[in-house]
Parts: sequence; C-alpha cells; structure tokens
Amino acid sequence: MTESALNRILQPGAITPVYQPIFRVNGGAPSIEGVECLSRGPKGTNFESAAVLFEYVRLKREESLVDRACIAAAFRGASSLPATLRLGLNVHASTLGRDHGFIPFLQSTAAATGIALSRVIIEIVEHAPPWDGLSFQSTLEQLRELGMAIALDDIGLGQSNFKMLLDVRPDYLKLDRYFVDGCAGDPHRRAVITALRTLARDFDAEIVAEGVENAADAGTLQGLGITLMQGFHFAHPVAADAVHEF
Amino acid sequence: MLSEAVRNRILIVDDEELIVLAMRRYFEGLGYTVDSAYELEEAQALLANRRYDLVIADLRLTGIGGVEGLQIVADIHQRSSETRVILLSAYGTPEIERESYNRGADAFLHKPKSMMEIANVAVNLLEHL
Repeated sequence: MTESALNRILQPGAITPVYQPIFRVNGGAPSIEGVECLSRGPKGTNFESAAVLFEYVRLKREESLVDRACIAAAFRGASSLPATLRLGLNVHASTLGRDHGFIPFLQSTAAATGIALSRVIIEIVEHAPPWDGLSFQSTLEQLRELGMAIALDDIGLGQSNFKMLLDVRPDYLKLDRYFVDGCAGDPHRRAVITALRTLARDFDAEIVAEGVENAADAGTLQGLGITLMQGFHFAHPVAADAVHEF
Repeated sequence: MLSEAVRNRILIVDDEELIVLAMRRYFEGLGYTVDSAYELEEAQALLANRRYDLVIADLRLTGIGGVEGLQIVADIHQRSSETRVILLSAYGTPEIERESYNRGADAFLHKPKSMMEIANVAVNLLEHL
C-alpha cells in the first residue's frame, strides 16, 4: 500500500505557490495591479497539475484542508511581494460554507506572514452545492468586514450563474478563457462579453478577463471596456521572486 | 507496432506500488506513455483531465471488489467511449466477470497474471483502436 495522496499533498512544503500577474490595460503600457495565487501539488506526482490536484481534492471532499494549505503557501511566498499588489486567493464555495474556522485561520496566517487582509481578493471557485447557505453568507460578510474583496470565478460557466451573482454580489467577475479566447474574431463571444460587462457595471463590479493569450484579443477586450486582464499574452504564472520583473 | 504505440497513453490504477512500477516500466519500455494512480479518486481526477487509450485497473481498488466497483467502467466511458478497459481481480467471481463485460470492459483478467499476459491483451486492444 502507498501513502495516501492526500497526506502527501498536505505535507509541509508540498504545495508550491506560483503567482500570475493581473494587469491594468488602459491605453498606455500595462501596469501590474495584482496577482492570482495559484498552487501546484507535490513535484513528481500527478498533482503537479492544478486541474488534477483540485479534481482529486473535490472527489475526496477535502476542499477546506487543501484550500488552507494552498493559502498558507501563497501567503508565505507573497510576503516578499510589493505591498501595493492585490492577492487573489482561490477558495472553494464549500470551504466558505462549511469551514467555521476559516476566518480565524485566514487572520492568523495573514498576521504571521505580514499580509494585510485588505490586499486580499477571495476568488470563489467551484460553487456546486451542497453547503450551508446561511453560513456561506455569514462568511462573506465577515470577509468584507475584514476589508477583503470578493471575486466570482468562471462567470457564465456551470454553477457560476445569475443566482450565484445575486447571492455573492461580487466586487470582481472573472471572465473565463472560454469567452476570451478568440473574441477578436467572434462577434458572438463579443456579445457575451458586452452583456457581462453591462451586468458587472450594474453590480458595481469589475471584470477581470482570464486566459488572454494574444494582442488581438487583448485589444478587443480593451475596446469593449475590459481593462483588467491576465493570461500568457502578458505573463505566465511565476515564482514570487520573479513577480518584481513586471 | 511501436510506431503506433508511441501515441498511446495508458493509465494504470492499482494500490500496489511494486505492481504499478513493474507495469509502468514494462509499458514505457514498449514506447507507451504511462500514468499511474494509487487511489480511485486519483484515477478519476486524471480521467477528468486527460484522455487515455487504455486503462488497466485493479477491481479491488475501484470499490470493494464487488459489482459496485464496476462503476469505474462507466466513469471511463463517460469521458471517452473509445478508451479500452482491462480489469484485474484477485477475487473475481463469474458474476462479476460477466457484469464487467456487460458494462463495457474489454478484458477481465484473474490475478495473478504475468506481465507478458497482461501486455499481450493490452497491446492487442491498442492495436485495434
């Protein structure tokens, strides 16, 4: 028998944090505004792929444990980043709905690593029920009271729907690469993006376009009024000590 | 044929590390790309993200070794109906074997089997993709 993969994932140092810069693109040269903190599982395992790692974690129903491990790793790495940068943390909706110790954990980990919580944007991922709706709402309120912003990931896909939008009232809508990739040459993609931009404005929220991989799509997005972008066209995910190069 | 084998990707699902390592070495030596998983959920996470031509799974690992464990065949074919499936079992009853084929497994092998026997079945399935 082998050691449980979950145990390997939760070993200290097993999660490697990387940071993908998010840029403000507003006419002049793009300027870095923040980073999305991403995680890679133990080296040499299937879980180096984030997609495999998080699919496994969801199947094991251990989102909260692994979310905490990823956040701890992200904060440690981010302690060397400029304090002006916002930090996007991916957190499962189920963690916010079920893990009653999550807020104290966030506070103590941030304090230990010198991260101001006002820099943090909680990016809610995988919104599939079940979770405790009241507890979820209460956690969102506490996060906001502590100065954190809320983003809804994968807007327009799967469970990230209008109901979720109403429940969360996010500060940021993360526009999935599915809508972004090829938008320069696809009027229907542009129509969806335009509709979401209007929706975002009505919610007093901002759109962040993910998966921007070429200048044509970036230019199109800018023309549609989307100014926050991330993707390989601007920067790949990098280690913390490489973020200062942007 | 090696030229065809190079483009084939195999997933081995078994919790016995030595068995996985032996199979991995063997099939990689034949030119296949091999992934391995030691837990059912690890296998399911890989299946959700990668396409495989062949899955070789120990039935015991897929559940409790009974008919319930055959759900993995549906999981695999839900992702790709083209993927071939070999189930291995040390405790397989005729009922489980029959049900395996009913649910779409391509081969059901009773353990112990030599590497050569497993490889012959695997290569034959891959050559007829």
